[in-house]
This record gives sequence, structure tokens and C-alpha cells, in this order.
Amino acid sequence: MKIVVFLKQVPAVSELPWDKKTGQLKREAAAGVMDPAAKHALEAGLRLKEAHGAKLITICMGPPEAEEVLREAVALGADRGFLLCDPRLAGADTLATSYTLARAVGAVCPDFDLLLLGCHSADSETGQVGPHLAEELGLPAAAYVEKLELAGRKLMVERVSDEWLETLEMDLPALITVTPRAFAPRPVSMTGVEQAFGGGEVFVLSAADLRADSGHVGWAGSAGQVVRVYAPNIDKKGVLIEGAPKACARELLDRFGDRIGALLAKDLGEAD
Amino acid sequence: MELNPCMKHKVVRGAAREFAEGELGPIAAEIDHQARFPWEAVEKMQALGYFGLQAPRTMGGAGLDTISYAIVIEEVSRVSAGVALCITVHNSVCLYPLLTFGSKEQKARLAPDLISGKRIGAFCLTEANAGSDAGAVETTATAQGSEYVIEGTKIFVTNGAVCGLAHIFAKTDPGDPRSAAVLMVEKERAGFSVGEIEDLSGMRSNPVSSIFLANCRVPAENLLGKPGQGLKIGLSALDTGRIGIAAQALGIAQAALESATRYAKERQQFNKPIASFQTIQNYLADMSTQTEAARLLLYRACALKDAGKPFSTEASMAKLYCSAAAREVANLAVQIHGGYGYSREYDVERYYRDAKVTEIYEGTSEVQRMVIARGLLSRPS
Repeated sequence: MKIVVFLKQVPAVSELPWDKKTGQLKREAAAGVMDPAAKHALEAGLRLKEAHGAKLITICMGPPEAEEVLREAVALGADRGFLLCDPRLAGADTLATSYTLARAVGAVCPDFDLLLLGCHSADSETGQVGPHLAEELGLPAAAYVEKLELAGRKLMVERVSDEWLETLEMDLPALITVTPRAFAPRPVSMTGVEQAFGGGEVFVLSAADLRADSGHVGWAGSAGQVVRVYAPNIDKKGVLIEGAPKACARELLDRFGDRIGALLAKDLGEAD
Repeated sequence: MELNPCMKHKVVRGAAREFAEGELGPIAAEIDHQARFPWEAVEKMQALGYFGLQAPRTMGGAGLDTISYAIVIEEVSRVSAGVALCITVHNSVCLYPLLTFGSKEQKARLAPDLISGKRIGAFCLTEANAGSDAGAVETTATAQGSEYVIEGTKIFVTNGAVCGLAHIFAKTDPGDPRSAAVLMVEKERAGFSVGEIEDLSGMRSNPVSSIFLANCRVPAENLLGKPGQGLKIGLSALDTGRIGIAAQALGIAQAALESATRYAKERQQFNKPIASFQTIQNYLADMSTQTEAARLLLYRACALKDAGKPFSTEASMAKLYCSAAAREVANLAVQIHGGYGYSREYDVERYYRDAKVTEIYEGTSEVQRMVIARGLLSRPS
């Protein structure tokens, strides 16, 4: 069995400054770490590897520093990693990213059985790359998965959908994105670190290595453009109603009666 | 010397930090207050290779370089200096001398259990009348047939109550100060016993205790190195040990700096954060500068050791400076916290108590100055 886990390096802080001209986040302002959701996907893959003796490959697109997350994955138990690193790949939106990742799978592991990703990355949070990639490769996919069980060539998954928990059965090969609610990642062992840096288990690939169409990668291949990035303006103001108790109660109901009514109705509804 | 951390060192730091914050963070204050050795966390550290950090990978160790080793100790100490103490003493003054001076047979017999952490290591030099003056030890190891009979009392033994193997400094000839030898004693040997746990000011999660040796017989195969090599082995172990303690002190300084910076931004007085006052800014600037200077001095000593160059003087400088920086940075962190900093509810109070002993154990600051001056004055001018 062959599993491919897609990793991403994201800034270690929750809020980053962005470039007002390009709308891109200034990722260089913070140290890079393995995307938390991707780390859970890696853990899901490592558990399958241990249970079924699979081969686990990781792929990451990013700058040269992103090699770090591939090394960390080897330290955790991945067999090898591929870094897609080329200035031509920079500035990719989710469409161009999915195309590039699909080319990468074709180049390094065309006979894969399972592709695993985090459900969405911590820095841009679109949640689109997984489903996009499944479309590119024509694979059955399930997103926001919390439980995975493998029986022969069939995969049983549990996924959260609104208020429902769905159990799905799918044939391999397939693509899964996992939520950070499940598959708590294992810690990196000190014995793993030297192993990860001792050997040459991480390889760097360029756009040419992927035989990617230059019009489909990076800026050039991006259909979407970030028009504006802004911090949501959360403005809460306290209101003080002064006066005699009865007058206060009346004013409260006059001004906020609708909202209070809605809250009461919700409470009563829940009590039923 | 490489001033930018390489990728490996970043991964090592990330791994150690994540573990320390996740597993030790929630218990760090409690194990200090209760003076409790956290077996539950130690067992996880055993499984993750923290007890064989620099042991060769062929023996099941992590095979890390010395800078990585210092980074691990620094990160663990940043969260719990008490837990870092257990790890650094085990690795640098128990396992390291065995791997450096032990015979093939000794390494095969004793190293695996140390590397896995199944046996926690201790180093027993200090006695009631001997510490800085290592030649004054009164414990004796008398050769009798194929055995040594050990008699004596060791005090202030780090890991004392939890150790599985202890290196005992003893004289094979009570009248000859040069007859110092190191005997490796497993805890189950008859005549080996542990005294009460010391009620110390800091590092309270480590069960520091006395060790009693009464007619304790060990086979001659448990002598580390040769008779009379004891002092050499001890000094060599302490050179490495100093790197560990310097790293521990650095971790405390880093933690104190972070706490003080956070608090100064949050705490409001006169309707503004106290970080807006120049006096507080000056404190923080000094704390940050001292911490960074300590880090560079330490990494330089580590880099020399990794390059196979002499590093004894530099290790002493690092230990001297890092420990003083830790004490001073923790002191200012308490000052910035004001009355709250003196309360056990806040971590800076623990940093302050933990920092002080780094100026005392594994060679006091006074002894470090002796070592540094000796190195300086022995050079041809």
C-alpha cells in the first residue's frame, strides 16, 4: 500500500501582516511550522502505515525552508519527502496548487492508494485544495474525516457534516482530508531527528521535473486573485440604560425586545 | 562558528518545545510545589530518546551533536528546570563518562539501560567535607580479591532517590589524594541505600538525596577507567556537565524574559501598560541582551566540542555567564511582576529559586573563575 500525505509550511503565529499591494501574507515575518491540520493528516497516514505496513511519502510545495517540514515528517516516520520548489510555482491559488500537486503525485507516486491532506491550512483556511485535487485526479474524496478504517481495498470513514456524523465506504484509490479534531499527532522523538537529517530522504523537484504546463502553475495558472485582505472589524459596544427600574425595563424592551424575544423563543424551543 | 541555526537545530528545538509545553507545561508548577518527581512525563521522555541524547545511534541513542543537546536541555528547562536537571545530569555526568571511559564490556553491560532511561543515572562526588575540593573525598573503595568494598556517604545527589546507576567517587587509598576512582554502582547492590529527599529551595521536582554506602561490594569490573583516573574522569564529565547546566540556566533566563515581557504588556498602572515606562523597557532590554549573550557563549562552547577542539575554558565561561544571567534575568522578572512575582501563583518566583542553584552546582561560579583563569594564565604570553 502506498500513502501520500501533502504537507504545508505555515507561519507559526496566528496573525500576520500582509502586503497591501499584492494581498499576499508576509509569510517571512514568522518562523515556519508544519501546518497543524496537515500534521494530523500525517498522523492518520502513520497509523495506517503501522497497521498495514504501507509506504508513506510526503509532498510539500514551498520555498527552500519548507524542506524542514519534510524532514520533520521523516523524523516522525515518513519514508521520504518531495519538496516542490521553483520560483515559477510561487503565488499559486488553490486551483494552480491542486494542478501542481496532481502533477507531483503523477511524477513521484503514480501508483498511490490513498492521498491524505489536512482539511484546511492554518494560514489561508480555504479548505479547497483537497477537493480540487480529487477533481484533478478523478478520485472519490471525503473531507473533514475523523475516523479511518481500512479493510482490503475498502476504506470506511466517518466525517462530520453540519450536525451529522456520516459513515461512508469508499474504494481505493481515494482522497481524504482530515480534521484536527482527530488523529492527535505524536511527538517527534530525539532518535528520529538524527535519522531525518542523516540520510538523503528528501528530494527537491522543479516545475520542469513535474512536466507541468507553465500556464497552469504559480501566478500564471491562478484563476483567483486576492483583491483585498483585512482584519474583521469586531465592534461591540456596551449600552447603559439609566433611570427608574420600570422606565429602564420599558426602554430595554422597546430597544431590544425583538432580540430578547428571539433568545427566549430559542430557549423555549430547546426546552421542548 | 555557524551563527544561524541550521534546519536540524530548528527541528530539534521545535520537537523539544512542543513536548515540553504540551507534557511538562501543565504540571511544571504543581511538581515544584509538591516536590514530586513526574514519572508519567519521564516515562514519555524515555520513549522519545531524551535519556540517550548524545549516545550513538548504533547503541539506540539519538546521536545528537552538542548544540542540539544544549537546545533540548534549554527548551525543557524553559518549561521545567527541575525535569531538565534530571535529563542533563543523567546524560552528561553519568552516561557520557561511561561511553567515553568505559570498556567495551562495561558499555555493552551498562549503557543500554541508561540510554533507554530504564536506569536513571547519578553522579556522586559531593560529601559533607568535599565539593569544590574534589580531592578531599572521604569515601573509600578498598580492593578485596575481585571486588571493591565501598564505605562512605554522598550528599546532594541529583536524581538520588530515583537513580538506577550511580557513579561513586572514592579513594582506593585513603592516604593518597591521587587515588581517586569512579565505581559504577547499581542501586540493587547490598549496602547501597538512599537517604531522605533534601528540602531544597529550587529544582524541587528532582529528588535530590544522600546516598549511603555501607560495606557495599561491587565487582572490579565496575571500576570506570583505571585506578587513579577518577579525577580525570570527574573533570572531563564536569566539562560536559557544565554545558548542560549552562543550557539549563539559559532556559530559565528565556522563560523569565518571556514571562516578564508578556506581563509588562498586560499590566496596567497609571492607565497604561507598565511596558510603556522607560525603566521597565531598560530592564527588558538588559534581560534580553544578557539572554542572547548567554546563548551565543554556550553555543560556541558546544560548537568547539563538536569540532573536537578543547572546550573546557569555554564551557566554564558559558556556565559562569549563563547562570549569572539566569539569576539576574529571573530577579528582574520578579521585580517587573512586583508583589505578584513574589507569589507562588506566578512562575517567575519558581524561575528565581531554580536559577540560583545553577551558580552553585556542577562547579560553583568561583570554581568556574578558577578554571577560566587557569586556562588564561597557562597560555604562553
